[in-house]
Amino acid sequence: MIPATQLLNEIVTSLREVIAPAVADPYPKAQAYMAAVILEFVVRQVQERSDIEARKHEVMLELVGDLTPLPGMNGLVRGDHLSEKGLCDLIEHLYAERDGLGAETFAVANRRIREALRQLLNQDLKVAGKAEG
Amino acid sequence: MAGDRTVQEKIAGYLESKLPRAKDLALSDFVHSAGGWSHEIYLFYANWIEDGRAMRQGFCLRKDPGAGLLRELSSLREQFGVIKALEATPAPTPKAYWYEEDPSLLGGPFFVMEKVEGDVPNPWSRAGKQFYAEAAKRGKLPRSFIEALAALHNLDWRAAGLDFLGVPGAGKDFVLREIAKWESLIHQSSRKPEPVLTELLMWLKANAPEAKRLGFVHGAYRTGNLIIHDDAIAAVIDWELQVIGDPMYDVAYVLSDLNREGSPLLSCVVEREFFLDYYQQLTGLTVDLEVCRYYEILYMMRSTAFWLSASGLFADGRNKDLRLARSTYSVPVVLDMAAKALGF
Repeated sequence: MIPATQLLNEIVTSLREVIAPAVADPYPKAQAYMAAVILEFVVRQVQERSDIEARKHEVMLELVGDLTPLPGMNGLVRGDHLSEKGLCDLIEHLYAERDGLGAETFAVANRRIREALRQLLNQDLKVAGKAEG
Repeated sequence: MAGDRTVQEKIAGYLESKLPRAKDLALSDFVHSAGGWSHEIYLFYANWIEDGRAMRQGFCLRKDPGAGLLRELSSLREQFGVIKALEATPAPTPKAYWYEEDPSLLGGPFFVMEKVEGDVPNPWSRAGKQFYAEAAKRGKLPRSFIEALAALHNLDWRAAGLDFLGVPGAGKDFVLREIAKWESLIHQSSRKPEPVLTELLMWLKANAPEAKRLGFVHGAYRTGNLIIHDDAIAAVIDWELQVIGDPMYDVAYVLSDLNREGSPLLSCVVEREFFLDYYQQLTGLTVDLEVCRYYEILYMMRSTAFWLSASGLFADGRNKDLRLARSTYSVPVVLDMAAKALGF
């Protein structure tokens, strides 16, 4: 997801450079420019939700803790997997090592990773306005 | 808009060069369409005098904006080639007139085709949904919807010269090529890692089915990409995603929940059982629902790629269309659908 401040800054640019100049009627034209001005103030007010990133970190910490004891997984799981980039690498490694790990270990590890992915996704869905429950 | 007047004048000048016998050529009903995520679309009528007779012809011009949704995966030259190749087939498509690479004409490559008479009701709008629901009751449009798809799938694509699109090898090649295509768009677009998307991609690669037959596949066959006139498909449009591939790829798109937003009807217009029966009757193919389910999950990955590309273009300041900004919030929603489809 695009960071909120970056998104707002681009919307300000769009309002000022594309939308407002294209509006012929003076009233909605002025409204579009004013929306850009207000959003510039809003940019200074907003802050990314730290609770979401904190919860994501907890989820990944628990995941690494649960995967490490699985047979054959100790060598696959590393400390730098405690990030979304690291988790992507871990998923790719798991599929690449599928045959070596055996079907059972792969299935257990994949199931646990998917549980974590669901928890991470639920955090993003809070922002997208589609969170369940 | 003042900018559009300039474009209009340039287009009129271009048409004069293409219609040398035309006198007093003027454009009317000029519309810069709000539809389309990849190209600028202009619809208009040209009016002129030729050999003393008044002439009137509708045109549609598609122009490369330079930073469209599909980035370099979208080729106007290829689209023009496809539409040209389809002219001589039973597939309902517009006539293709001219393709131009020269950016000095309009600022980027473009092509001009026939403006087919009819409407493209937006299936996501209330009015569009109502139109399709009522048309479904009348019965003619659902049949035409299936017949137009069958016409594409029954095409002898080699005879039509469509093999320039690239012909996949046997087995899983088609699917793996599709995954690689959309993965490349993701890599061009993604601003931060998406572990759910990585799991989705790995699952898709590990479970790729074999294509049992190759056909000409539209790639986005749904209401909204079809011009409708008198409750029949007057033309299939939006030729950006076509491939030589498994016809089940299109069937899966029709069957998908992605294209009906709560409507009980496939693509908001056709009942599922009728679609399956009539499609199989017209094509002689057996719909493989398991393979279709796989392709539906692949489409969720493709949609994610679209939204990542769109929001990335906006975030990078390369495209100012606010619809692209909105799409950043669609990424977790479509990934949620995919995760549920995979059982988590």
